[in-house]
Amino acid sequence: MSQLAEPRTMTAERPGGDALVSVRNLTKRFPITRGIIFQREIARVHAVEDVSFDIFPGETLGLVGESGSGKSTTARLITKLIDATSGSVVFDGQEITGYSRRQMRPLRREMQMIFQDPYSSLNPRQTVGQIIGSPYAIQGGERNVRRRVQELMNRVGLNPEHFNRYPHEFSGGQRQRIGVARALALSPKLIICDEPVSALDVSIQAQILNLLEGLQQDFNLTYLFISHDLSVVRHISDRIAVMYLGHVVEVGSAEELYENPKHPYTASLLSAVPQGTGGGHHRVVLAGDVPSPIDPPPGCVFHTRCPKARMVSGSPDEVPENCRTEFPPLGEVEPRHLAACWYPLKAGEELRQAAHR
Amino acid sequence: MSQVHASPRGEPLLEVRDLRVHFPTPDGVVKAVDGLSFSVRRGETFGIVGESGSGKSVTCLTALGLINRKSALVEGEVFFKGRDLLKLSNEELQKIRGKELAMIFQDPFACLHPMYRVGDQLVEAVQIHDDMSRKAARERVVELLAAVGIPRPRERVRDYPHQYSGGMRQRAMIAMALLHNPDILIADEPTTALDVTVQAQILELIERIKEEFQIGVILITHDLAVIADVAQTVMVMYAGRSMELGARDAVFDKPLHPYTWGLLESIPRVASKGELLVPIEGAPPSLINVPPGCPFHPRCPHRFSPCDDQRPDFKDRGGGHPEACHLSAEDKRRLWSEREARRTKVAV
Repeated sequence: MSQLAEPRTMTAERPGGDALVSVRNLTKRFPITRGIIFQREIARVHAVEDVSFDIFPGETLGLVGESGSGKSTTARLITKLIDATSGSVVFDGQEITGYSRRQMRPLRREMQMIFQDPYSSLNPRQTVGQIIGSPYAIQGGERNVRRRVQELMNRVGLNPEHFNRYPHEFSGGQRQRIGVARALALSPKLIICDEPVSALDVSIQAQILNLLEGLQQDFNLTYLFISHDLSVVRHISDRIAVMYLGHVVEVGSAEELYENPKHPYTASLLSAVPQGTGGGHHRVVLAGDVPSPIDPPPGCVFHTRCPKARMVSGSPDEVPENCRTEFPPLGEVEPRHLAACWYPLKAGEELRQAAHR
Repeated sequence: MSQVHASPRGEPLLEVRDLRVHFPTPDGVVKAVDGLSFSVRRGETFGIVGESGSGKSVTCLTALGLINRKSALVEGEVFFKGRDLLKLSNEELQKIRGKELAMIFQDPFACLHPMYRVGDQLVEAVQIHDDMSRKAARERVVELLAAVGIPRPRERVRDYPHQYSGGMRQRAMIAMALLHNPDILIADEPTTALDVTVQAQILELIERIKEEFQIGVILITHDLAVIADVAQTVMVMYAGRSMELGARDAVFDKPLHPYTWGLLESIPRVASKGELLVPIEGAPPSLINVPPGCPFHPRCPHRFSPCDDQRPDFKDRGGGHPEACHLSAEDKRRLWSEREARRTKVAV
């Protein structure tokens, strides 16, 4: 992955302008221990492995992948809610990897999160006013908190008179609006949206997506948008990074990635999405399950299920040697379109169904 | 109603007529299902789509007799093979449930007992209905686990549920549902808890089973795209009522009800980037205070005079399939094509 580590290749993705967030070779392994007094480490969960990408000001970077692919861990590493095993995160020009809690505090104004579950991310004992106002209570610097909170409520589509109500008096969609207002309170630069619409009904989902898009324009926000729903990610993102078993396997513009996927995993993932057009589309059904991140496969982590590798070898039971032995670097396959694959798909190439089960 | 089915294969297997399920609560009566009629045929996937609280699951639980009738008012008829399920005693229902009518649920993590081996749980399910030796039952279980695509089933029957992945657990649940060759399989959000690639596997499996065993499948989901991919007939539910019922292509290409329009416009489609999402204003109503007239009228941009006090009949108004909206067929055609044009214009 060496060439990728140089910032030069990454900024080539989008020339001009410095990245707001630069993630380089970020790795997080969670130890699994056994024993009570002498905790021996018996294994490690490879949650995030050697991940690098940039987020540019004003854009929405979508992060997609199945459960357990490391999307949320990546978000928690960027916000330094957990410490990385290795690698670096540069936020707005500052290398924050080694920062202490105290050093992080002023930066927390600049990065906020919106969570998936609007039922468990709001304190049921606080009024909406207290919830949205709590960033001011922590960070200070606002005299007329009440007026400011009511402005925010108005902006996100809540009735400002409901200032004194409790979260249980609101519906799921309205609660998510409260979460959005809280994230906006300190006028952050970066908002990390971790599955913000996954728990909502479709008609409400669209309301929240439109709200997020409107806010981005008004306040020039940068989003890292995490979701497992590929249609939603495509709708809202400018660029998309696809994760599989802790690795970023493909990065490209939303358009490019969906029209012309390079990595076989991205292609299979897209083909698995119901099109809503009434059956009949070519679906690559991946055999088996995602391998365990405790013991990820050697070489390319996707080789155990990869249909393309089997097309290259010409046999359903064999994959080329380099797929088995070496992880392919995330390199530019086409301008500003990166993929980590030894045999990236060519334009228009279709994956044949891997015969084996 | 018979003309609505695109591919009629024989008589209806399950027929629901004017079903009402009301739950009295201290705050008022929750009208979970309010006058619902539909039928399901052999070899058909019948999709029920709606938002949370629209009565999808209650309908199916009622059909299976899984609603406590002491705490709920159930009216109407559910005919299955010539018998009204709502009139059967609990003992009689128990003979049908899990045998001729099987169900799989959303959360495969909650449906298997964590302390018993998967195989033992399935064997128990075999022996409830069939007088079969443990050994023979185990053979049957292994055979079915193989049929639903569990690798090395002879070893995996000895595993505990936590040793299975989410997709495998759902496969095991499907195997359990199939043990007695049911006539109808009710799948309540079978893929909602699963990742897209696993969802594709499970949907394909259900489709294959339907063809192989020639059963009727009722697929309940909130995901329009899933319904569009696998169902032949689609019923759109809102506030415990059916808004629209028709063949899949008819409902998705020429939808007749403004609620269906709203649903279709509020999902981003993978195939087309940059379309405007048009959310439905407001939120679904409380089932205690369902709006009078058409339950959708407070959120409907096309409402007019009769909508707020006359409940629209569920019938074919000339659009090709039955729906519950006061607008005339011409108005619907015009309004839908206007909305389609507006939507695609933004995309260009």
